[in-house]
Amino acid sequence: MSIEIQGLHKRFGHFVALDGIDLTIPAGQLVALLGPSGCGKTTLLRIIAGLEMADCGQILFNGEDASRRQVQDRQVGFVFQHYALFQHMSVFENVAFGLRVRPRARRPSDAQIRDKVHALLELVQLSWVANRYPSQLSGGQRQRIALARALAVEPQVLLLDEPFGALDTKVRKELRRWLRRLHDDLHITSVFVTHDQEEALEVADQIVVMNRGHIEQVGSPQEVYDAPATPFVYQFLGNINLFHSRVHAGWVKVGGLRVQVPEHDAAEHAPAMAYVRPHDIDVLREPEDGDTTLAATISRVSSLGSLVRLELIQAPSGEIAEVEMTRERYAADPLQVGDLVFVKPRQLRVFLYNDPKVESPMHWSGDGDGI
Amino acid sequence: MNSSLQPSPVSVTNSEPPLIRRLLLAVALIFLTLFLFIPLAAVFYEALRKGLGVYLAAITDPYALDAIRLTLLSAAIAVPLNIVFGVAAAWAIAKFEFYGKSVLITLIDLPFAVSPVIAGLIYVLLFGAQGWLGPWLAAHDIKIIFAVPGIVLATVFVTVPFIARELIPLMQAQGTEEEEAAMVLGASGWLTFWRITLPNIKWGLLYGVVLCTARAMGEFGAVSVVSGHIRGLTNTLPLHIEILYNEYQFAAAFACASLLTLLALVMLALKALIERYTLKQRWIVTLEETK
Repeated sequence: MSIEIQGLHKRFGHFVALDGIDLTIPAGQLVALLGPSGCGKTTLLRIIAGLEMADCGQILFNGEDASRRQVQDRQVGFVFQHYALFQHMSVFENVAFGLRVRPRARRPSDAQIRDKVHALLELVQLSWVANRYPSQLSGGQRQRIALARALAVEPQVLLLDEPFGALDTKVRKELRRWLRRLHDDLHITSVFVTHDQEEALEVADQIVVMNRGHIEQVGSPQEVYDAPATPFVYQFLGNINLFHSRVHAGWVKVGGLRVQVPEHDAAEHAPAMAYVRPHDIDVLREPEDGDTTLAATISRVSSLGSLVRLELIQAPSGEIAEVEMTRERYAADPLQVGDLVFVKPRQLRVFLYNDPKVESPMHWSGDGDGI
Repeated sequence: MNSSLQPSPVSVTNSEPPLIRRLLLAVALIFLTLFLFIPLAAVFYEALRKGLGVYLAAITDPYALDAIRLTLLSAAIAVPLNIVFGVAAAWAIAKFEFYGKSVLITLIDLPFAVSPVIAGLIYVLLFGAQGWLGPWLAAHDIKIIFAVPGIVLATVFVTVPFIARELIPLMQAQGTEEEEAAMVLGASGWLTFWRITLPNIKWGLLYGVVLCTARAMGEFGAVSVVSGHIRGLTNTLPLHIEILYNEYQFAAAFACASLLTLLALVMLALKALIERYTLKQRWIVTLEETK
């Protein structure tokens, strides 16, 4: 089932949780709502579920207006961050609940319910805990039971609110792969909320990046990572180096470095922010001709498993930049603290300050002019 | 003697020296003995001092039976009313945000803050012969003060906080996620209440009911003001005990008092039993699984 959201607004007192959301979720996709806490992603999910009512705007399920439909009639499955399993019921009864509360005419027989519950417990690979109580299960097991319970009512849409947020890293990784496989088998339209960019990039077909109640960008994991539409998306998805700079006639100037930016041809002496990901920087021993490198001193070398991270102090400004390279590459030319090097950004993304899409977050301002 | 002061292996994690621990334990035990066990024993000792015959005569006295009947009646009305009100109020306060919530919480606490005598006086001022509604009630031949309705009203008033107060923190701690999960799965609000909310609060509710019942049967002050002490008509068990005591019928007074005490003990035992039973059920499931 496809979901279409049009002009959604929601306030809690003076706090604007959602500020004009328009979004289409195609049928059968696994979509991540990604953003920092307080960005409105959970509110959006709860409004889709019918647990919260929007102040204005519409939600269409398969083209039909569902905005005024009661939560019971929306045919959605909802998985909570803290599982919300019924503590006083066995695992079996938890999964059977959605079938047992149906009106008599649509309620399956006891035998049918038993078969269905056991099939679902098989699906989540937990048929052996049917008689246990939720308090006797681990976090990962509880969340799988919560998923089985949500699937029991054959929902048209599966909504997951930070489903792995309360689990430890290892279980979380296991479960999200498992969720992806499950989605590939069932093809049920699914929306999950997360603040973990790695999780969104790994699991989702589409990522909706949200910030302060509005959508910053919608796209495939590759699109949002490689071509971020706004500075916010750039800094939220992965590590960044930010250089304050000026753009003039299609060239951006960062200290002594000049890079061509054809998309900003029209700009004249415009202040801008230039972003470079730490793995998009080359470190050279010798300067190159033609203003393509910046001098810097290595101030720190740290090993992060498969990667080596260098901290550099840029020569004129004294600002710090981060560079990441593979272990092999570092081994080929092991740079030491104190070495004088020349850095060359391979890929640089420039946003103008006066661009309407760009809002200047407080912690970015006041850094002075870059390298 | 010295060896008993050596720390045992169990107490390694405990930072208090054994002497202090024993002292604290002794203080607690002495306190409990003085203020709980001895009075409790005294009630039964005094009740039976003049023999079983006197005891039985005292509690089968027609006036005593009337008082027991009235006490049970007012409890039987007050407790269900408070269950409904307490659950509704706790539900509203714990699960919803609305204007006037703090006012409602304060109002629920009012009967705790106000002296029971004042509570009784409020009803006399409202419904008494000289009260605001007195003339109207007299004209329609409705008797509230110095009659059973007044006693029930006063009992309800003083027992209002017990169940609501017990449930509010419990329901606040449990949050609304389980209810939301049930509604998403298609359960109506009514079904969600019976299948999810009520089972989750049943121990708190039972505890509240036990306390509420004990108070409803034992209430003296408010009931005393509105009752008029008419033997056989408006005397509850506590009032009956007072009259007996004032008439120097100590054995009879303590015999009736022992009844009230027994009722309280029975309810506490009941609560402990049910609690243990359900815990055992869970254990059995766990043991079968781990076999």
